[in-house]
Amino acid sequence: MSDVKRKQFISSAMIYLVLTVILIIAIFPVLYTILGSFKGNMELLTEGNRLFPRKFVLDNYIQAWNLADFEKYTVNSIVMSGSIVLGTIVTSTIAGYVFERGDFPGKNLLFGLVVSSMFVSLGSLTLYPTFVIAKFFGINKSLWGVVIIRVFGLNVTNLFITRSYIRSISREIDESAKVDGCSFFGIYWRIIFPLLKPLIATIAILEFRHSWNDYLMPMVFTLSNPDRMPLIVGIMNLKGSGEAASSWNLMLAGSSIALIPMIVVYLIFNRYFIEGLTAGSVKG
Amino acid sequence: MKNKKKGSVSGQRRRLKGDSIQAIIMLAPMMLGFIIFTYVPILYILRYSLYQSNGFRETWNGLDNFVRVFSRDPAFWKSIVNAFILSFGKLAVEIPLALLLAVLLNKGLKATGLFRVALFLPAIISTAITGLIFSLMFASFNGIINGMLQSIGWIDKPVSWFSHKGTAMLVLGIASVWNNFGINMIFFLMALQSVPVELYECASIDGITPLKKFFYITLPMIGPTFQAVLLMAIVGSLKMSDLILASTNGQPAGQTEVVMTYVFKYFFGYDGRTVEVGYASAMALVTGVILAGVSAVYMKCSNKIGHSID
Repeated sequence: MSDVKRKQFISSAMIYLVLTVILIIAIFPVLYTILGSFKGNMELLTEGNRLFPRKFVLDNYIQAWNLADFEKYTVNSIVMSGSIVLGTIVTSTIAGYVFERGDFPGKNLLFGLVVSSMFVSLGSLTLYPTFVIAKFFGINKSLWGVVIIRVFGLNVTNLFITRSYIRSISREIDESAKVDGCSFFGIYWRIIFPLLKPLIATIAILEFRHSWNDYLMPMVFTLSNPDRMPLIVGIMNLKGSGEAASSWNLMLAGSSIALIPMIVVYLIFNRYFIEGLTAGSVKG
Repeated sequence: MKNKKKGSVSGQRRRLKGDSIQAIIMLAPMMLGFIIFTYVPILYILRYSLYQSNGFRETWNGLDNFVRVFSRDPAFWKSIVNAFILSFGKLAVEIPLALLLAVLLNKGLKATGLFRVALFLPAIISTAITGLIFSLMFASFNGIINGMLQSIGWIDKPVSWFSHKGTAMLVLGIASVWNNFGINMIFFLMALQSVPVELYECASIDGITPLKKFFYITLPMIGPTFQAVLLMAIVGSLKMSDLILASTNGQPAGQTEVVMTYVFKYFFGYDGRTVEVGYASAMALVTGVILAGVSAVYMKCSNKIGHSID
């Protein structure tokens, strides 16, 4: 009996060992960035092999915030991500609701059109035409263009998860509301939407992650207008500016400013992150 | 519509019509957005692939752009090959790693939740920031990786990771694995959790070794998930762009350029290239067809394997 127990102990010790090693490797780059952002510039430029700073300094943050426009970038990021999150919650739940409960001629055709778009896999290559279209509508010079495209551009993943979530809500609730004289929109607004709380949390988190982290589209839309750049674009702009070698401190502080809100949100809502990312991809 | 008689046919019909109109009005903004921002760009690329255009002036070019793609642009095909090498190279590490971690996390040990949350952390981090962090860590001068390797005596002098194709691709691969293994791990973990425990209990009674258990029970049971995850991972990796733009940006000398960044630069005249919208559209189209082809071949092959197991 003790032999079996010892074997079990050894095997779980091994598992913990493997997991811990991989865990350290997995969080190392994040630690490196955040700890590095507290190093003095001299230390960054001369000593590369230490993870922990010799002396914690806040200069990098002060410099990034005041001199390198990171205050602006942060505000831009918050406004852009916030608008996308709020807007997407409304548009995805409406789209999911109409496709699940609505009835109008051509509905299936439209749905087929949406589904078939998933098979065209051009990724970032449609960015240029999208930009040209935005130019046509005069929304190509700020992040509002990105917001409009993300909010009204119908995210197929969100559509799928909303539709299947609403399908799981009993139709009897709608029917009785209908009998009481509730309109189609009224049913959405008074009955379905309030029932979607867990789903809304998932969509909000997914969209927040996507919009906060997005690089290429916001970059294209703010290329000519650095005042409007969100954090990620601002940091990359710093990297490409030619003074990259001397601005390690700013890049590290800037990256930390971009990372920390994301990590905090993740640590608080990690359940929704994991559920949302998997639900969306498996069904999509 | 409000004071309709319950059960009256005409009332219900009118009601149905009213609901349809409401449904159409509710969906219209999203449908318009979807058509404008998803379908029109595709049509745009189809049209412009037949034109020569610098974004302002355009001239009909027939199939010349395609002739150029297929006969006069080895750099494009090199970027396709690079995308394949990078994708399959990094997936050869990423997928087994994700599966191993999922299996270990599924053992039901203590602190599993903590490990799961921490191991998934890299997956929430911006791909562009990932590229930046890794290019700082692997910087030849005062990068921490060189510093640590020197401290433990594995290398004598700093390696300049980004000035050779091989090492640069290695760093890109590591960065991409780091950024993406978490999501695959979670997929596998979910699939593993749905495997009935009884299967393993029967197997333990029969005295099967853990390795055999994995290959004869676990793997077949999570087969469908595995197939789907692998397809998403392959297509997703072939479409890699942010990571490269944010770290090597194709350097040295365009040797780490992948297809998405290569075509992107032609569209926007980014990085000192001239804008060639028509030609970029033709390349985008060819790339789209190649990606669709990869998915089709994959599905055919994986179905065959699936059937042979049945």
